[in-house]
Amino acid sequence: MSFWDQALEIARVDLRIERRVGDVLRIILPFAVVALLVFPLALGVDLSAISRLGPAVFWAIGILFGMQVALRQAANDRTERRDLYSLLGLDPAARFAGRSLSGSVLMIGFLAVLLVATVILYGPDLPAGWPGPVLIGLVLTGIGLTELGTLAGEVTAGLRNRTALASLIVAPLALPLVIGGSQTLESLARDAGILPWLLLLVATDLALAVAGVALARPLEEASR
Amino acid sequence: MNRVRILLVTAAIAVGIGLWFAFTAPVDRLQGEFSRIVNIHAPFLWVAFLAFGVTALASIMWLVKKTRGWDRLGEASAELGVVFTVAGLFTGMVWGQAVWGRAWDWGDARLATTAVMLFVYVGYLALRRATPDPEMRARRSAILGAVAVVQVPLVYFSVYMFRTLHQTPSIRPDGATMPEEMLVALLVNFLAITYLYFALLMARLYVARAEEAVMVDGSLAGDAVKPPRLSEVEDV
Repeated sequence: MSFWDQALEIARVDLRIERRVGDVLRIILPFAVVALLVFPLALGVDLSAISRLGPAVFWAIGILFGMQVALRQAANDRTERRDLYSLLGLDPAARFAGRSLSGSVLMIGFLAVLLVATVILYGPDLPAGWPGPVLIGLVLTGIGLTELGTLAGEVTAGLRNRTALASLIVAPLALPLVIGGSQTLESLARDAGILPWLLLLVATDLALAVAGVALARPLEEASR
Repeated sequence: MNRVRILLVTAAIAVGIGLWFAFTAPVDRLQGEFSRIVNIHAPFLWVAFLAFGVTALASIMWLVKKTRGWDRLGEASAELGVVFTVAGLFTGMVWGQAVWGRAWDWGDARLATTAVMLFVYVGYLALRRATPDPEMRARRSAILGAVAVVQVPLVYFSVYMFRTLHQTPSIRPDGATMPEEMLVALLVNFLAITYLYFALLMARLYVARAEEAVMVDGSLAGDAVKPPRLSEVEDV
């Protein structure tokens, strides 16, 4: 099997497990929407403030809950599965690529639903022509966050406090993604160029992809 | 007197000389006495960047060579980087309270990104603490140490990327934007605090080696009974 065949197979298996387990759809997504609902209740009935804070709340909740999507149960291989992959001669870089691919599909879907919920619940004042650039920013942020989560998930695999520790690692490292994603809309509202922010997102995604592929073998050994 | 002790004593003297320069240099007309804080604030953060750079280098070297020394260096340097980042943030906040009227200002991108960088390395140290097996600890932290350093350029360039309260560097390739006496005081402190980092790094490595020697050679009561490893307990 070629590298991409292996990666696609891993992605397919991951998505199938996720369909059965339903972590993202049944637990993380509803929890994130509840968080979107709770925030205005804590703020009080100040419609202009809620509308103004909508995009910021979207990115905050998107990144924080997005980490849970990246660290979902389906992406946490047990020792037996890891051994099986090794015996099958699976390329560790293909495993990273496949896992990032399946995670990105889930993450982009998760962020897209969250965006729709934010628009409905917060009614933010969005600039004309926002869907295209915001969607590109959302896709690039989702890919980067998934790559970061996959790296952190592998580094913390098998540890007792894996979820908390991986979140601590991902949250601060996601800073370029938060900045790139949020500034895309901000720049659009100010009628300024969005290209530098999209480039920041692309550069971060590429850097993480290179790091993930280059460190795939040590990652594989680290997660045993 | 052993070598580490000599290093620490000379570092203390160097920092004393640096502080003398800081307190005798002329002050900024608008900021008054508080401008002296900058003489230690900027060097603290330069050393933090240096320390995290050393951690990244040691991490990459561990991945290549897989020798214990590189792991020790990465850990020691990350610990010092965290300490110097806290010191840099604290001095910056004291200066900000005096000059801007508030310790924390969201208009300063450098401040916020530096705080985030601090937590990247707090996570690195937490990962080390959470991994009981030394070989696994070295491997995992080397991977994170090599990736985490991407945060450093983001912090450095944040003053160019955003509209921010924080000033751009005062020492540039085309010259310095401050009087000569102030520049000399700042440079002396840069040297003194860099030397302090080097001395503390050597001391920390000395302690780490001593800890390992105890772990390897020291026989303890109950050594004949081998307890199960954490990972084995978890698998059950």
